[in-house]
Amino acid sequence: MSLAIMFVAAGVIISAVGWPFKTALFPIVVGIPLFILSTIQFLRSAFLGGKGHIKEATIDFKLSEMEDKALEKKRTITICLWILGFFFMLLLIGFPIAVPLFVFLYMKLQGKEKWGTSLLLTFIAWASFYGLFVKFCDVPFMEGWVQQGLRALRILS
Amino acid sequence: MFEALISGLLMVLQWKSFLYLVIGAFIGYWVGILPGIGGGAALALMMPFIYKMTPGEAFPFLLGMHSVVQTTGDITSILFGVPGEPTTVAIILDGHAMAKKGEAGRALGAALMSALLGALIGASFLALAIPVVRPLVLSFGSPEMFMVIILGLTCISTLSGHGKGSLLLGLISAALGLIFSLVGQDRQAGILRFTFGQLYLWNGLALIPIAMGFFAIPEIIDLAVTGSSIAGALPAGKLGKGVMEGIKDTFRHFSLTLRCSLIGVFIGIMPGLGGAVAQWVSYAHATQSAKTEEERAGFGKGDVRGVIGPASANSKEGAGLLPTVGFGIPASTGTAILLGAFFLLGIVPGPDMLTKYLPLTFSLVWTVIIANILVVAASLLFINRLASMTEIRGSIIIPFILLLTFIGGYTANNHIGDLILTLASGGVGYLMVRFGFPRPPFILGFILGHLAETYFYISTTRYGVEWLYRPKVIVIFLLAVAVALYPTYQRGRLGRKEKESEVKR
Repeated sequence: MSLAIMFVAAGVIISAVGWPFKTALFPIVVGIPLFILSTIQFLRSAFLGGKGHIKEATIDFKLSEMEDKALEKKRTITICLWILGFFFMLLLIGFPIAVPLFVFLYMKLQGKEKWGTSLLLTFIAWASFYGLFVKFCDVPFMEGWVQQGLRALRILS
Repeated sequence: MFEALISGLLMVLQWKSFLYLVIGAFIGYWVGILPGIGGGAALALMMPFIYKMTPGEAFPFLLGMHSVVQTTGDITSILFGVPGEPTTVAIILDGHAMAKKGEAGRALGAALMSALLGALIGASFLALAIPVVRPLVLSFGSPEMFMVIILGLTCISTLSGHGKGSLLLGLISAALGLIFSLVGQDRQAGILRFTFGQLYLWNGLALIPIAMGFFAIPEIIDLAVTGSSIAGALPAGKLGKGVMEGIKDTFRHFSLTLRCSLIGVFIGIMPGLGGAVAQWVSYAHATQSAKTEEERAGFGKGDVRGVIGPASANSKEGAGLLPTVGFGIPASTGTAILLGAFFLLGIVPGPDMLTKYLPLTFSLVWTVIIANILVVAASLLFINRLASMTEIRGSIIIPFILLLTFIGGYTANNHIGDLILTLASGGVGYLMVRFGFPRPPFILGFILGHLAETYFYISTTRYGVEWLYRPKVIVIFLLAVAVALYPTYQRGRLGRKEKESEVKR
């Protein structure tokens, strides 16, 4: 993580060198200390190893740690795949279809909920989405790429 | 001033504003009860709803929600020993012990009444401090405001961790937030920075998708990893009797309530200290109120003073608004997101809030007071039923939180880029949590980045390097250095004390 931040800071400084003074002033003033600090942290992590890692000392939300590390890893990967899946569903088929479809699939496949519960909550999710965001807030939700493609091919009017 | 105070109250009591306040308080109620959702994340989730609101409607809604989260978070902490909020951990020690002893009602009564009194004291402090703060804020120019931002970032960086290296991680996180704020068209010369040829990035990174992904996605992942209901496998139990007894306890120990509320006020106005610190310091103070060793031994085993102390620290919610409103320096993650709401509504916190928008500032005070009164009254009426909500299965709550995250993120610009940004921010937020980088300095740096750059640029072009020699700038700088060095000094002092006590043994 520190190494990645070092690269980001270096990128900021290198980019800023080519900009006019007005534009470059603040990025350089922030970029240089960030590069130095992240280098120090990287060296601390590299040389102190576990001692340089102080995540337990951070006053922030902490991830739960399970005794079964394999299960923890499996669950983390599973939920990340669900999040990515939802993201791609939104891109491909758009919000109006992706929202109920995702809720139903998650409840049924991941949550192993009963058909009745899954369908009822899917309806609640869709109704809340449609009522609150489409009707009340009038948010213009984009069409999915599939619908756009079908429209381009004149399959969908 | 008195006129503005009354105008503020009338502003909140307008039917539309009051309705939004009630809705906000209702949402905040649930957010506090449910351990799966943090107050900051919920505030970020609600940001898209304020686009069409006026400031008089948006702030009762957001603040009504934000100011009651800790009050109801205490309920979950006491009943299940599971913190409803990350800031309500300290109350578990004696509150949950009381619940296990069959005194849940008494503990809840004491906690709710102390939290209410704390909120009233915090809000009163905010109202009383405005006349004092006003001349101070008005005497601040761009150099001083820039240094105040640096002070805020230093405070939050220093205090968002404890132990060696925490300052380093905090500062890296804050600087990274400032770097992220640079994306987009530069305001001074109109040059595009880090836009990578993408039109979406010309206006910079939007706060809402960043806040959504950053705070909600790591919590969703964690909820899925634990794989249980949001309150875990703990029994719901009955509250039992004794609510009135608990309320009376608050008044029996009124001096303690007052002292702990003042501790909450002090910690609330310090940027970066956060609610958890306020609760722990108040708890520590409550234990110190024990006169004998035996009395002290009772703490942690169900002493009502161990509930009253941390709950009274709720005063930080009102007091925490002071630096946010007066200086544009948020005191916590929640107020940092609230600061984003100010900008979204076209209001720049700072001197204007104490002159042009003074009735609005006082309406914030009234919102804190009214929302807390409503929520405490509702808690006392419906607490048994509400507590059962913590048994909702993770598999049911996760898709709903995820929906809100992506829909909320998308509403920033109604652009596909918002979705990508939400997902990417979630990834960055998760990695920061996993690798122990504190997130509050990042979000604070990101929010204050534009303001910091503007003040820095104005100071440099107007005064050259001479702005560095201005007395107030030097004082604030020294204060920032002191804040940065204090934990090191404190560790050294504690180390010496421990060594001395070992030698004596």
